[in-house]
Amino acid sequence: MIKRSFFGLVKPKLQYEIIDEAQAEPVRIKPGKQIMLYIDQPDENAGNALFKIGDPVKSGQKVTLSDGSADYLLSSKSGQISKISPFVGILGKKSTSLTIDVDGESSQSRDESFKSACQAPSLENARDFLAGLPGKPDFNVFFDSEKPVKAIVVLGADDDLLGITNQYFVKNNIIAIKTGIELLCKITGISHAILIVPQQLEQVAGSSGAIIKTVDSEYPSAHPELIMQHMLASEDVDAKSKSGIAFFSSEAVCAIGAAYTTGKFFLEKMVTFVSKDGNKRLVSVPIGTPLQDILNEFNETLNDGDRVVFGGPMKGVSVFSTDTPVMPDTDTIIIQDKRQITEGSDIACINCGECVRVCPANIQVNQLIRFLEAGQYEEAADQHDLFSCIECGFCSYVCESRIPVFQHIKLAKHTLESMKAAEESNA
Amino acid sequence: MHSTLKLTVSHAPFWHNGSSISTKSRNILLASLVAVIPGCYQYGMAAVGVVTLSIASAILWELLINFISRRPISVGDGNAALIGMMFAMMLPATMPWWAVITGTFFAVVIGKEIFGGIGANPFNPAVLAMTILMLSWADLFDFNAALLNYQFDFKAVYPLVLSKTFGASAVDPFALMDLLFGKQIGGIGSTFGIGLIAGGVYLILRGFVRWEISFSFLVGIFVSALCFNILNPEAYAGPGFHLLTGYTLIGAFFLATEDSSSPVNFIPMLIYGLLGGALTVLIRNIGTHIDGVLYAILIINLVNPIVDKIRPKALGKGV
Ligand code: SF4
Ligand code: SF4
Repeated sequence: MIKRSFFGLVKPKLQYEIIDEAQAEPVRIKPGKQIMLYIDQPDENAGNALFKIGDPVKSGQKVTLSDGSADYLLSSKSGQISKISPFVGILGKKSTSLTIDVDGESSQSRDESFKSACQAPSLENARDFLAGLPGKPDFNVFFDSEKPVKAIVVLGADDDLLGITNQYFVKNNIIAIKTGIELLCKITGISHAILIVPQQLEQVAGSSGAIIKTVDSEYPSAHPELIMQHMLASEDVDAKSKSGIAFFSSEAVCAIGAAYTTGKFFLEKMVTFVSKDGNKRLVSVPIGTPLQDILNEFNETLNDGDRVVFGGPMKGVSVFSTDTPVMPDTDTIIIQDKRQITEGSDIACINCGECVRVCPANIQVNQLIRFLEAGQYEEAADQHDLFSCIECGFCSYVCESRIPVFQHIKLAKHTLESMKAAEESNA
Repeated sequence: MHSTLKLTVSHAPFWHNGSSISTKSRNILLASLVAVIPGCYQYGMAAVGVVTLSIASAILWELLINFISRRPISVGDGNAALIGMMFAMMLPATMPWWAVITGTFFAVVIGKEIFGGIGANPFNPAVLAMTILMLSWADLFDFNAALLNYQFDFKAVYPLVLSKTFGASAVDPFALMDLLFGKQIGGIGSTFGIGLIAGGVYLILRGFVRWEISFSFLVGIFVSALCFNILNPEAYAGPGFHLLTGYTLIGAFFLATEDSSSPVNFIPMLIYGLLGGALTVLIRNIGTHIDGVLYAILIINLVNPIVDKIRPKALGKGV
């Protein structure tokens, strides 16, 4: 963990991880006995669901709860569904988990429905088949007629600390990125493709054929929201169409390219795995593999009070159990020992202003937090720029009172958004 | 089965830079010792008594409020001790015990707790208490009378009184070097200039106080004192004198920089400091009070919420 430096006159700095010249090849985690798929849909129609316990699933097959739903995953292995259970995720989001008992290596079978679709690549079949690829590409933005997409941005830099997943693909797979970008441009009809990389990778990135933009090494400069603001400011895209940018991770772009050229899905997720001792490894894991399988591979043991984070240290999510599977967007997994955890507190804000000085969105966090703690979310939004927050977590990181500022912000946004949604559905 | 494993689950971020209120208080206390110890050396055990009583009573007042209001015990963060220390630094060593305890009551209870505790006080608690005491028992703060029984190897007259009553020429005997090394009478922890500067610079380098405030406060004093001095060198002492006497240095490094009552944005911090410095000299030179630092700080505390509105636009909100 990066601590405050002894001299505190300058603004605190958090440096992104830069991939090593001699980064070891990823460790491939062998498929275990089971995989688990988390689907972002409540298990409401349990009776007439598309899948029942005992149903066979092929590798590469779409797994979803209702026909035509945009929420689907691609099973990385073939096997049999052994369990379907509802669970409640972060901020009360209802989801469903499907457990699949994986077939033996020799009896793996592959779903072939994409074979024909890949002959004629189109946005529609990308949306219908590829959203479950590693990196979780989102094609829905292209179908929003109000905000036409003007540019495709490929993130070759990791937007949270410690992660090197995206950089790995730029460093080792730039040709695949090139193929992927060309395909994306072809199916979307957009010629404006930008590849974002850390300075160190600028040279390598050159051969991708895209426009190269570098971000500097200080958190949170690779945050998509900041990149977007930057591009809007530099008039790379029409400033009026705010969301006119589609973001893809470099991993997703590689996977999209590979899917269309081979007709097969590559369903192994590249994860930066950070063990308790701070050791960083790249692992390549079939999507859906429970964390426990990775822990076993590295003989990492967990004790009560330890913390497991899916995602980076600033924006990730901590999980309850080592059964939690690797998902298409799990770029980083961090294991923290109990002793590395700084407890939050309920002391009031002392107005030290650290948060104000680090906030990339220029929010007066010291004012904002007073309203959030009092539950006055509307005032917070109207007068204290709640919705300007890009959710980088920097304010909590520096808070001298150790207030969970970021958590307050997320809760406030969530509350206001669900109130708005409720109002709209009543109207 | 790993289902019995109880992992810690919390919200992002999962890192913290390790800063805390108690670290900050500890460091400010440490830095203030550099000025307080020479003060104690100069005034003897009486000064030690005042300092320890002040700190102890400040802590006890806060504990009492914690109990009465049934809030978690908050003295562990060191803020009460810090208020006690700041208060004691401004007092003459001859302060009677009851005045010290009354003072810390004003500081901790009236200055901080009734506003809601740490972070909610609009004024610097120690400064507020000092001014209340000064208005109530002015003679206790007559440094000349109070320190009459001490033997010093330097001119035992409160320098600001001299300049006020007899004009600039009266302060000629004070060599700036002597003032810097504490050869003047005054509060226990407010006269040893070099110590205050060292402590302040330490706190600035470590990022515990904001340099913008200290710096602009001193600049404010320097510039306005210089203006007066140029206009009428007979009546008004030079900027060096103003910088090194009274509560200027403790004000710039320890009092004006109190978190809760000072701004956090860059330009507001500069305005806040400059205004404080300028007001100090104005009060000293044309007001009726001998020292202006404390009143100046209360006034800038008051305008803090207004000046702190000058700030960059939030992301995505206009130009
Ligand atoms: S998370 Fe905090 S620091 Fe980051 S943008 Fe939001 S308010 Fe600012
Ligand atoms: S960092 Fe924490 S204590 Fe300091 S001003 Fe911000 S919210 Fe308040």
